[in-house]
Amino acid sequence: MDYDSSLSPGSGDSGRAHRREFLKRLAAVAGSSTLLAELPWWAPLRAAPVGDSPADRVRIGLVGAGDRGNLHITNLLRTPGVEIAALCDDYEPHLQAALARVKGAKGFADYRQMLDMPGLDGVLIATPLYLHAPMCLDAFSAGKHVFCEKSLAYTIEECQAIADAYRGSKKVFQIGHQRMFSPVFLRALELVRNGTIGQITQIRAYWHRNNNWRRPVPNPSLERRINWRLYREYSCGLMTELASHHMQVANWFLDAHPVSCAGYGSINYWKDGREVYDNVNLVYQYPNGTNVVYDSLISNRYYGFEIQVMGPKGTIEGESGKLYAENPPPAPGILQLINGIESGFFDTVPIGGASWVPDLKKDTKGQPLVQDEPADDGSSLELAAYANAIRLGEPIPGMMEQACRAGVCVLMGEASMEQQKEIAWPEGFRV
Amino acid sequence: MNTRFSIVLVDIDTDKAEELAVAAENDLRAHERMMSRFDAQGPLSDLNRSAGHIAIQPPQELWEILLLCREYWRRTHGAFDITLWPIHHLWREHLERGEEPSGEDIDHARAQTGFARLHLDEAAQTVRFEREGMSIDLGGFGKGYALERLAASLRAQGVERAFLSFGESSITVLGSHPYGPAWPVGIANMFQPAQTVHAFQLHNASLSSSGTAPFNRMGGQRPFGQIIDPRSGRPIEGYRTMSVASPSGIEAEVLSTALLVTPARDRQQLLSGFSCISAVETVYHSDAEDFAPNIEWKYGL
Repeated sequence: MDYDSSLSPGSGDSGRAHRREFLKRLAAVAGSSTLLAELPWWAPLRAAPVGDSPADRVRIGLVGAGDRGNLHITNLLRTPGVEIAALCDDYEPHLQAALARVKGAKGFADYRQMLDMPGLDGVLIATPLYLHAPMCLDAFSAGKHVFCEKSLAYTIEECQAIADAYRGSKKVFQIGHQRMFSPVFLRALELVRNGTIGQITQIRAYWHRNNNWRRPVPNPSLERRINWRLYREYSCGLMTELASHHMQVANWFLDAHPVSCAGYGSINYWKDGREVYDNVNLVYQYPNGTNVVYDSLISNRYYGFEIQVMGPKGTIEGESGKLYAENPPPAPGILQLINGIESGFFDTVPIGGASWVPDLKKDTKGQPLVQDEPADDGSSLELAAYANAIRLGEPIPGMMEQACRAGVCVLMGEASMEQQKEIAWPEGFRV
Repeated sequence: MNTRFSIVLVDIDTDKAEELAVAAENDLRAHERMMSRFDAQGPLSDLNRSAGHIAIQPPQELWEILLLCREYWRRTHGAFDITLWPIHHLWREHLERGEEPSGEDIDHARAQTGFARLHLDEAAQTVRFEREGMSIDLGGFGKGYALERLAASLRAQGVERAFLSFGESSITVLGSHPYGPAWPVGIANMFQPAQTVHAFQLHNASLSSSGTAPFNRMGGQRPFGQIIDPRSGRPIEGYRTMSVASPSGIEAEVLSTALLVTPARDRQQLLSGFSCISAVETVYHSDAEDFAPNIEWKYGL
């Protein structure tokens, strides 16, 4: 699959016309990809771009107008054929701020009332983790299509319940793992599948920051609501809020879920009353003896965040979008020299000469996976896919499996750290 | 050094070779940091920023490099000079716009060049520029120096055969090719890279080529393929390459530019101060169709 700059969506609210044009070109690319069997969730993007007729319009209700919710609002406003019909948040300031951004949207403090609103096609759930399952289940019961932010749910049982509810619903379900729609990660997958790095022998991923991971609290009574990520009652901290992204990619690239995992975590720096670990270290074991090594901490940011897919012929770094060959091709003259030595020839190689050219530094600094960094990390495309799937009335293939694998994975890791023992993949888990 | 480095090690097991290659890379990067005028945090940038105003004491190794450069400036009668950056920069700026600098501009830039204006205080080990605007550029020295140091380090670790190359314009070999008495290195015709203009037989020796070119050999953006004659302050004429072989990587590097800017009649005398040098100058004459290489001058062959 080739990407070029013409495929990059324009930034800003510069009009849905550009966006529509972009999606049209994308549809052609998606349709021609040899990888589609492994990217079933791209199928909705192959649909013809929508027009402006009311019949084409998809009406979405968003629950949770915090950080991520607001990014979704920005992207939804640019997605052709989407109407943000309703906004819901039980925190009044966030609700009012969101309503001010979206003309004509109806506001709700209780998501159940929003689900009763006539004419709503689907919901987008961007609430704290512990609310994902109840909201997904209620939305399916109300006959709505569901887009749920990652991680899927707070417990493995809830993951199973969502999968079960989805199976009977004939509704669209999508999870907010945007890397599934990132051109960089798609190119990375292509290189893995065509053998560029050889067999995957290990994946190493890490997410490092250096801050207290707190959001400002206007009033101490709001601490737990605003900083829900820090409290075990609402979240599994670094695992569900960060690790789930890279575990999703690992499962996707290895085309499997882990067999088991073991890890350690602690609060060794930010001892401020939080209940979730500020550093985690885990190993996930996959079939065929491949391991995924993951760590995350919020007291050092030097290495940033990255997922490194390693094989005997090369390394792919997904976040920086680079490929590092284990054996970069030598310069042409050097190659001739080596070939001569290897075949036992003593031969003059026309190799020397004045050079003025800073040639091919890319070999040592890694080759970019896509030529122009796409403007979208997938956060925008995933919404276009969701809207198209609703319009087509067709569930997105493969999506629930990705959501469950990643969601269960991070909960296994959390359980292993809390119980200080190896945790196996839940037997009998069914997508 | 803004180019690719290649190392070919022979008769060494792969594991050991990988270890040597990593060590070589670390070594070269350390030298690059020290000698690069483009590394804003490096000691040379530091010196270039401040030595016009106050005396600067560079790190010991850089100080020793500057003393070496002075020695070669003297031994080449001024043909090798690390202070030409202002005038080099002036020509590049103009030629990239398709213009020539005015005589006045050239004179102004020349007033900011010349090793004689670089004051090295040997007692204090400090450097001071006589004028503001002066700037040191180790571009025509660094690769040879780094290769010479690396070759010594590899020898000390027991390496007997190796081929080391910076962008194939600066090459150092250890020992000989595994199937012959030397490493045969052909100078490529820059317009027909598969053709050899002249072949050097290198044994524990270095080869460096400098020259002028009408274009980038890789077919990319037009680079600045000019060599400035410090005596005239003007680029040398025509398209030519000077290739110099020497037991010393530094001398090969220094002489490839020094000989190029020295008139052919004076080269013999310049080289009387050096030993075991061989050199070839290739000049490309344009006819209607192409540029044909011609060896116009050679020495020690």
